[in-house]
Amino acid sequence: MAGQSDPHLSIFSAAEVEFLAEDELVEIIPNMSMDSLNFICGDFGPFFPHIPTEVPMWLAMALKKRGKCAIRPPNWMSLENLTQVLEAERDSRREFQPLPFHYVEISRLLFDHARDDIPDVHMVRTLVEDIRDVRFHKVESGFETIGSRTHAVKLKNLSAMEVNIVRPFFVRALQAFYKHDSPQMIPRPDTASTRTNIGDLPRRDLRPR
Amino acid sequence: MASASDEGLGFGSEDNDASISALPTEVELLKRAWRNEKASPEILQFQEDVVRNARVQIQNMEDTVEAYAEDGKDALTVSLYQMDLDRTEFLLRSYLRTRLQKIEKYMIHISKTELWNRLSKPEKEFAKSCKENMENHLKQSVLSRLPFGYQDFLKQSISSEEDDMVPEPQLDTFVFCKSKGSVGSFQLDAVGDEVVDLIADDLYVLRYKSIKPLVETGQIDLV
Amino acid sequence: MANYYDLDDIIMEDELVSVVFQVGANGVGLLDPGAETNHIQQGAKVELPFWLSQELQLRQAASINLPACFNQKTRKEVQADVAYVNLKNRCPYFYEFGCKVAPLVGDRTIGPFLLYAFKGRYKEVLSKAHSAAFSVAPKFLPLLTKEETHLYDAAQSSMTAYKKWRVGGPRFERASILKKRKSNG
Repeated sequence: MAGQSDPHLSIFSAAEVEFLAEDELVEIIPNMSMDSLNFICGDFGPFFPHIPTEVPMWLAMALKKRGKCAIRPPNWMSLENLTQVLEAERDSRREFQPLPFHYVEISRLLFDHARDDIPDVHMVRTLVEDIRDVRFHKVESGFETIGSRTHAVKLKNLSAMEVNIVRPFFVRALQAFYKHDSPQMIPRPDTASTRTNIGDLPRRDLRPR
Repeated sequence: MASASDEGLGFGSEDNDASISALPTEVELLKRAWRNEKASPEILQFQEDVVRNARVQIQNMEDTVEAYAEDGKDALTVSLYQMDLDRTEFLLRSYLRTRLQKIEKYMIHISKTELWNRLSKPEKEFAKSCKENMENHLKQSVLSRLPFGYQDFLKQSISSEEDDMVPEPQLDTFVFCKSKGSVGSFQLDAVGDEVVDLIADDLYVLRYKSIKPLVETGQIDLV
Repeated sequence: MANYYDLDDIIMEDELVSVVFQVGANGVGLLDPGAETNHIQQGAKVELPFWLSQELQLRQAASINLPACFNQKTRKEVQADVAYVNLKNRCPYFYEFGCKVAPLVGDRTIGPFLLYAFKGRYKEVLSKAHSAAFSVAPKFLPLLTKEETHLYDAAQSSMTAYKKWRVGGPRFERASILKKRKSNG
């Protein structure tokens, strides 16, 4: 703190977090044949109609947009699992349920581009949004437990996008806590009373520290 | 994801001595370097091998895409290769650019500390000319018009005992991080009154200063 | 000095504090608007910017009094309604100023007081920033210190960026020059 206005607190844009999420693997069912793709990021395929295969999200999206495949939503996106997660999320005041690190981005990508591949898409979408809301709320109230001079905060199971949203506030707030509880704030009795000799002072003319 | 091997690309993997399939791909390494660089307040060691390998792969892929386009390969395949290429290029550009921004911001601090050794050769040249330009500019526009004793680029006045006008990165800021393996008990403060057990894959918010050595040795990743 | 160019830090050091001169000083009468001569008497009470006061105190020429924004009266007012008390009009740089003043006035209770105030307020800052109801802002924002405003902005801008992303839209746009190079081969 100390008036440090640090513009670099939000270091990843939402789009950059999405970019990272697009490397997560997802299963697709192609409706065409295509040779293996030997990418810089790895080898995928070959692709045959109706034979499921794993590809990165970005590739799945590209094929889906061109009508070349269906996407198999990940297991955690089932109605059943999400209902359970939401309940557990509500039951536990402080813990976050384990979800994929990129669940927010992956679900948005799928809702936007592969709605027809997700069974009960409306329900699933509502559930994911509810889960996210409960978790956000938990992050906000979790600040209550941050006390004074905090050195470490553990955020088990917090996801990438959630991290990105809370980061700027969190970092600033922690710095403030750290600073205000600093031992430097409390002068040691000896040094406070016995003032330094003027001759000993380092000469700092303009902006002293 | 990390298990995707870069063998079978048909080019340029011989500079990698190990061929274990669990080895991260060049893209994984580049992505890690990018994330750490973006998230750390100070400039990190330039990842020379990673950048060199990524460049080779990008060059090869550009040639491949070009050849495919000329051979009349189907447009879908070509566009997918192009996307893969674009993604890798984005990572590389963003990585280099993030470093340049840090160099611009802390050019003086970097050039007078051991951080200088973390720069690549072109980065050093950039930092040097950046610093010269800034110094010349400030001298011409401001410093030369100040009274004697107040004309220094780095010192507030002639009586300053050290360079006291040098912006530095804030190392006691907090960062989000994950350890890859178990780091074990770890002392957070010089005073040593707080010890934390870093468990693999759990997310922590810690002061950068306290985990700096772990970031530098690659034991912990910033997110 | 790591933050030599930090504007907030510079402005903050312009905060006025009241000091008592420990020595008589010639030729500085302009510092004391009430002075009739160009001389400041030993024991005279004068309001000076923090940066100057600090130097004078270090040289034992003056001693800094506890600023009003940290006195008992203010502490009681803050305690009465910590989340909604107007800290900005007490001192826009309340926290930073407190951190700098505490060691100089030798008051060990300022640190805990700052912490108490911050603890009582940051949650409200966060929830207001996230709920982002625009009707809230005009009433709430003027109560905040500079640092709290930074916090509010930090929380709000990341939430806004997220919401914008969620709605969708174009993201990585390739510079047209890059595209051109590619299509030319």
